[in-house]
Amino acid sequence: MRKSRPNYFAGFGSLVWLLVVGLPLYVMLVATFQSRPDYAANGPLSFPEHFTLDNYIDDLNSGFAQYFLNTVIVTVSVVGIVVLLVPPLAYTIVRSRGRATTTVFRLFLLGLAIPSQAVIVPMFFVISEAGLYDNLIGVILPTAAFAMPVCALILTGVMRDITPDLYEAMTMDGASSRRVFFQLVLPLSRSGVSTIVVFSALQAWNGFLFPLVLTQSAETKVITLGLYDFQTEHGVNTPGLLAAVVLSMFPILIVYLFARRALVQGLMGVGGK
Amino acid sequence: MKQRARLSRTLVVGGAALALVLSLSGCGGDSDAAGDDTIHVLVYGDAANKVEKEIVATFNKTSKVKAVLDTIPGADYQAKLQTIINSKQAPDVFFNWGGGSIKPFVDAGLLLPLDPFIAKDPDLKAKFLPSVFNSAVVDGTSYGVPMRGTQPVLLFNNGKVLKKAGVEPPKTWDDLLAAVEALKADGVTPIALGGGDRWPTLMWFEYLYDRIAGPELFQKALDGDQDAWASPDSRKALSSIRELVDAGAFGTNFDSVKFTDQGSPTLLATGRAGFELMGSWEYSTQQDAHPEFAKSDLGYSTFPSVEGGKGDQANVVGNTNNYYSVLKKTKHPQAAAEFLKLMYSDQFVKAQLAIGNLPTTTNTEGFLDAAASPEFAKFQYDMVKAAPAFQLSWDQAYPQSAATAMYQSLQQFFNGSMDEDAFIKAMQALPTS
Amino acid sequence: MTRTATPSADGETVEKPGSSGIGAGRPGFLWAAPAAVFFGLFAIVPLIMVAVLSFASWDGLSDPEFAGLDNWRRLLDDPVMIKSLWLSVLLTVLGVAVQTPLSILLGVWAAGHQRNRAVLSAIYFVPMLLSVAAVSVLWRAVLDPNLGVPAQATWLFGDGNLFGTQATAIGVLVFVSTWQFTPLHTLIYQGAARAVPQVLYQAAQVDGAGTVRQFFHITLPQLRNSIITSMILMVVGGLTTFDTVLILTQGGPGSDTTISAYYMYQKAFKSFDYGAASTIALLLVLVSTVISLIVVRLSGYDRMRSTMEGL
Repeated sequence: MRKSRPNYFAGFGSLVWLLVVGLPLYVMLVATFQSRPDYAANGPLSFPEHFTLDNYIDDLNSGFAQYFLNTVIVTVSVVGIVVLLVPPLAYTIVRSRGRATTTVFRLFLLGLAIPSQAVIVPMFFVISEAGLYDNLIGVILPTAAFAMPVCALILTGVMRDITPDLYEAMTMDGASSRRVFFQLVLPLSRSGVSTIVVFSALQAWNGFLFPLVLTQSAETKVITLGLYDFQTEHGVNTPGLLAAVVLSMFPILIVYLFARRALVQGLMGVGGK
Repeated sequence: MKQRARLSRTLVVGGAALALVLSLSGCGGDSDAAGDDTIHVLVYGDAANKVEKEIVATFNKTSKVKAVLDTIPGADYQAKLQTIINSKQAPDVFFNWGGGSIKPFVDAGLLLPLDPFIAKDPDLKAKFLPSVFNSAVVDGTSYGVPMRGTQPVLLFNNGKVLKKAGVEPPKTWDDLLAAVEALKADGVTPIALGGGDRWPTLMWFEYLYDRIAGPELFQKALDGDQDAWASPDSRKALSSIRELVDAGAFGTNFDSVKFTDQGSPTLLATGRAGFELMGSWEYSTQQDAHPEFAKSDLGYSTFPSVEGGKGDQANVVGNTNNYYSVLKKTKHPQAAAEFLKLMYSDQFVKAQLAIGNLPTTTNTEGFLDAAASPEFAKFQYDMVKAAPAFQLSWDQAYPQSAATAMYQSLQQFFNGSMDEDAFIKAMQALPTS
Repeated sequence: MTRTATPSADGETVEKPGSSGIGAGRPGFLWAAPAAVFFGLFAIVPLIMVAVLSFASWDGLSDPEFAGLDNWRRLLDDPVMIKSLWLSVLLTVLGVAVQTPLSILLGVWAAGHQRNRAVLSAIYFVPMLLSVAAVSVLWRAVLDPNLGVPAQATWLFGDGNLFGTQATAIGVLVFVSTWQFTPLHTLIYQGAARAVPQVLYQAAQVDGAGTVRQFFHITLPQLRNSIITSMILMVVGGLTTFDTVLILTQGGPGSDTTISAYYMYQKAFKSFDYGAASTIALLLVLVSTVISLIVVRLSGYDRMRSTMEGL
């Protein structure tokens, strides 16, 4: 009855947004299958006359495979560190009554407000003194550290939803903290853990400033930097650049196709339940 | 050694402690044990690296100390260089633009004076065009040896577009203004400008200041004479720029166009613009992106003269050259010297010419026929050789710390959001060396 | 069951067997220590160094020298600095103002289980697959005045001088961030909207409340916690926008989009004035701390009320 009216509005709005999201993606795809002169001559909206894959081939030959690998290494390592360190931290924050823990929690809350740019100067100094300049480890460590506050917050939110009686029941049985953690807390906060996996992976994947300042050679270049350098070289070619953008999507696209549910659920979890 | 301030000690201690923790925790990178019999050569990463690789290979054939080539991609080169030059990662030999780009390093005592090398091997200086070599002389001491090529700024054009509008490459400022009107009437943007990159805008300032006030004015300003910017000549140059912009010479959206993403070169190549003021690399850019256009319709001329101006119309603006400088703390100064000697070898000159660069050695002239585009190479060589003055790009002549503010003011004056007085004030506020 | 580990090994607070009640089986600080130490090393220690550097003059070449309040004085007199703070706040506020309603509407819409909504949601998600750098590069190409879409849609873009005036350049930055991050926030709201108990809607329908009223009286209040989280993410994200500015506008035209984070980068890695850069960094930390604190206080986020409460 009265339901149909707002639906027209929603339907229209959703199509407008589809256009906003879709148009640049269309431009991107179409451009990558054209040669440079064709793209310049035909404009971004027209369909390719002479279909070519050269842009992709050229990109892959100019080192993008290496950049992929580097990004994957960074992403996996960052996720590893975060997943190893944050759940015990969140568990402590939720369950411990100690003063030290409160301080630590405050510290992490403060950490939310520390932009990674703010520490980039001393970070360079420290990483370079440690001999980690131009080394992926030097990118991984700070990236992981800066992914932690949000992850800690997300996970504590999830763990708080575990009701006290469950803890009670276990501790009544004389269970140690370790057992409580592994048998109660972890299983019940699986959704939260998958959220922090997705979130920290996203952070690492998007990482730009740390690699920009802390690495320099092609061997340590990550995809985001590859794209940036592509753009700032003299005489860049737009179809080639956009092909690189498409290529940069692939690893996440594969994750998206095969683990869409987990990825989407994970991201939904960022907001808590 | 200088006495360290207490503050720096705190920093060093804090940083070192953290660094130590890192190294102890087993994630420290490889130590510099391998650095004993190598010299690291750091260059700007781009297509010209091909030649640098060849030269390094040649050097390594005979030398016991091996050279290792490191590159940093274009836009970040200067920033990266300054961050690492006083750290463990510092190279032994590095690429630079001479002038203001190495001045801070000289002041910090980081660079090795090359005069002793030159005393032993006079060719290290004598084999280069003097005006070029002198750009890397700081306070009377030589700190750099030219490498790669000279990059004068030229007024490029699309011959077809000019013909259609009945326009010739301009010889005088008035010619240029007339050409602008004719091209506008013909429905094309008279001059393509990649204002989004900012440095293309700078080129218009450099040439107009040179033609109107002569190279002396800028030198005075650079030496700290604030009045130079407020002088009548300076104001005349500014009003000429205003006149050109207001005449619609660059269209209205130049600040959204970039050279670096092919925006402005494409305008020129596809006949949507008549001229572009650009460094000599425009030629290879066009050859790469629009080979047909580069072959048939790409024209070039020197910047027009300005009536009543003090600058010689043969003066040139641009990147004088790139240079190799040597760090004082290198363990192998002799090897570095040997390496530098390759910069005037026949192999070097031929290889540079083949990729479209124009070296400034005295033997270059003999190889010009072997250049990628002999006619263009000869035109540039004659132009540079005949130039009474070669104005180094302002952003490289000034200390690095001035560049950002300089770009901002240039862009704002150019697009009309800053007036003459505000611009003069902004330029006076720039830190000078 | 027997205990499998000694208390000290897993950092458990020592407790007497058989003790019960609230305090029992609580983890000790050692559980939090690895994360705390790691975070301290890579975030807090550098932050302290930044604080020290903000009182120093340093170009990275010679040794840092104590400069007292010079950097602070200079920056407070620096019109670009003041402007950059305003721009940061403006960009953040605009981002929140545009993205929040948009992503709530999209999220609530997508929470429906209809087939067409699922398909469209899958497409809406695609910008999430791209990194910030990739998105910026893409939009720079799409919005090129001569080679991009503006040249073919002059009725909409005029001369296409999007990067040439302050208003349009800021518009582009806000739009591109919205394009990139709306999917994330949409997902947050979609998840939250699905978790709203259906009972509430059924009761409202009995009372004769329309869709619009249901949205304002049931859905929105139920999304409260998600709105807060999403806004905190937007605020922190907005204040630290960097890649987008570097790739799209480089702070221009002039200094018209030079936000603080980018100005700091310029001071550090273009002008090599590490002291001034550190001062800006510290200011940025202060501003975002204050904003976060306000949001956290206003919302009671630190107490982290469970949404399950009151059900």
